[in-house]
Amino acid sequence: MSALAEFAPYGDEPPQMRSGAIGKSGLLRLGFERRDGRTILAELGSRTPCLAQRALHCDDALPDMAWLFMITTSGCVLQGDRLALDVSLGAGARAHVTTQSATKIHSMDANFAMQTQSFTVGEGAYLEFLPDPLIPHRQARFASDTRITIDPSASMLCSEIVQPGRRHHHPDECFGVTLLSLATTAVRPGGAPLFSEKLLIEPLRNPMRQAGVMDGFDVFGNVILCTPRDNADRVLAQIDAEVDREQGVAFGACRLPNDAGLIYKVLGRETAQVKAKVRQFWEVARREITDAAIPPPFFWR
Amino acid sequence: MTPHDDGAPVPVTATHLARMLQFGDSMFPIGGFSFSGGLESAIQKGVVTDVASLREFTRTAVEQAARGDGIAIVCAHRAALAGDVGELLRIDSRVHARKLSGETRAMSTKMGRKFTELGAHVTSAATMQDWRARVLSGATPGCYPVALAIHFAAQGLSARDAFVVHQYGVAATILGAALRLMRISHVDTQSLLFQLNADVDTPYATAAHATLDDMAGFAPLADILAAVHVKAHVRLFMN
Repeated sequence: MSALAEFAPYGDEPPQMRSGAIGKSGLLRLGFERRDGRTILAELGSRTPCLAQRALHCDDALPDMAWLFMITTSGCVLQGDRLALDVSLGAGARAHVTTQSATKIHSMDANFAMQTQSFTVGEGAYLEFLPDPLIPHRQARFASDTRITIDPSASMLCSEIVQPGRRHHHPDECFGVTLLSLATTAVRPGGAPLFSEKLLIEPLRNPMRQAGVMDGFDVFGNVILCTPRDNADRVLAQIDAEVDREQGVAFGACRLPNDAGLIYKVLGRETAQVKAKVRQFWEVARREITDAAIPPPFFWR
Repeated sequence: MTPHDDGAPVPVTATHLARMLQFGDSMFPIGGFSFSGGLESAIQKGVVTDVASLREFTRTAVEQAARGDGIAIVCAHRAALAGDVGELLRIDSRVHARKLSGETRAMSTKMGRKFTELGAHVTSAATMQDWRARVLSGATPGCYPVALAIHFAAQGLSARDAFVVHQYGVAATILGAALRLMRISHVDTQSLLFQLNADVDTPYATAAHATLDDMAGFAPLADILAAVHVKAHVRLFMN
């Protein structure tokens, strides 16, 4: 598989369970549909260690929106794990999908871990995919491959926050990851390409502290907003761009090619700073797209 | 001529060398001087303050180019030699789709279009004429790396030559802008250019064996600086 050429050196099988074995080949299939004025989870498929229970309608500002918490019974991502997420939204459906806690990617001495994520967002649908941060431990090797198929009338907000590791746990765990490959490709339903991004983080090969890369920052946030042009214009007008070295935060949004929407990047010294910026962007995006407010923050997040 | 490892000739004749110098020269008027590669914002925001940070910032840009557009150059050169226009269109679309800020897209398509028009005019090579027609009709975005590769293939220059010229251009653009944006001497920028070109063979060897799916990068602060530049009130450069 050429898309994974960078993982070719890590084909060795773990001495524990082989890659993709039962319990290491997770799947979560979520099909949201709009029925009788609200969005329901019409289809649910899961395979260990991935799990989902039911959709909740807990959003005061968008009572029709289905909230879904993805559950993992594993608690972390281990070498040899192959995880797949498949989310689809039918016409007019509105859903918010998130995790219960951060995704910890453990150290590896054999093989690698991989997740594939597929999102299909139908006509007039709206998806918020805002999982908790990724925490790659030292010597982790992780690939994430995200494919988005989105109707021109639909909107999707997805964020990814990457921590440098458990900074205070071990001196080697600030950018101690061996290889992190985060790819996202978006197309229209007919297959017309919108944009693609492949972030390849290999701190031993390309130093993280270099000017233009992470510089003095530790936490990275990447937010993609696919939305029609007029929404994107209104969001962009309200989103600032700044590099504030004193506060230790930098952020800014750019227009994606082919009128796909916006991409918003955030750097911070602390995770809380990045989360706050992502939340601000979410607030503006949801208001402009649905005319609704975002819920108050959870106590424990 | 001796065959190179990718099957293309290397410029062993004096004429080939002259062609490579002409089309790789920063004097070749494709508008590189109007771009700073994000340096203008980097200086305004204190990311680049001196020779050392300028070296790092330029190194980041050069490394990103090698891992991204550099791969597209090698692939497009191969397609151009094979006369595979369908593949060239696919590569151009892929290059365009991974330029995630308006300014980097504008830089690639403006320089690509100028290079295509000028190259087609100066050389009258049939492949360049054909590509110019496709770019001008709006059938393809016409990104710079693809235009450079088609042109070099038409001139009998190798993929390696195109790759080197591109890498050199990325560094020269930023360092040229540095002379106008910060307190730095020609001695400093020439020293930096010399250092940054100390090893182009390794990144070329990597790019030569890569596929389009391998195009990747990671320079979030440079991306944010592009967003800062769009919002800035005072701008000398187009990026």
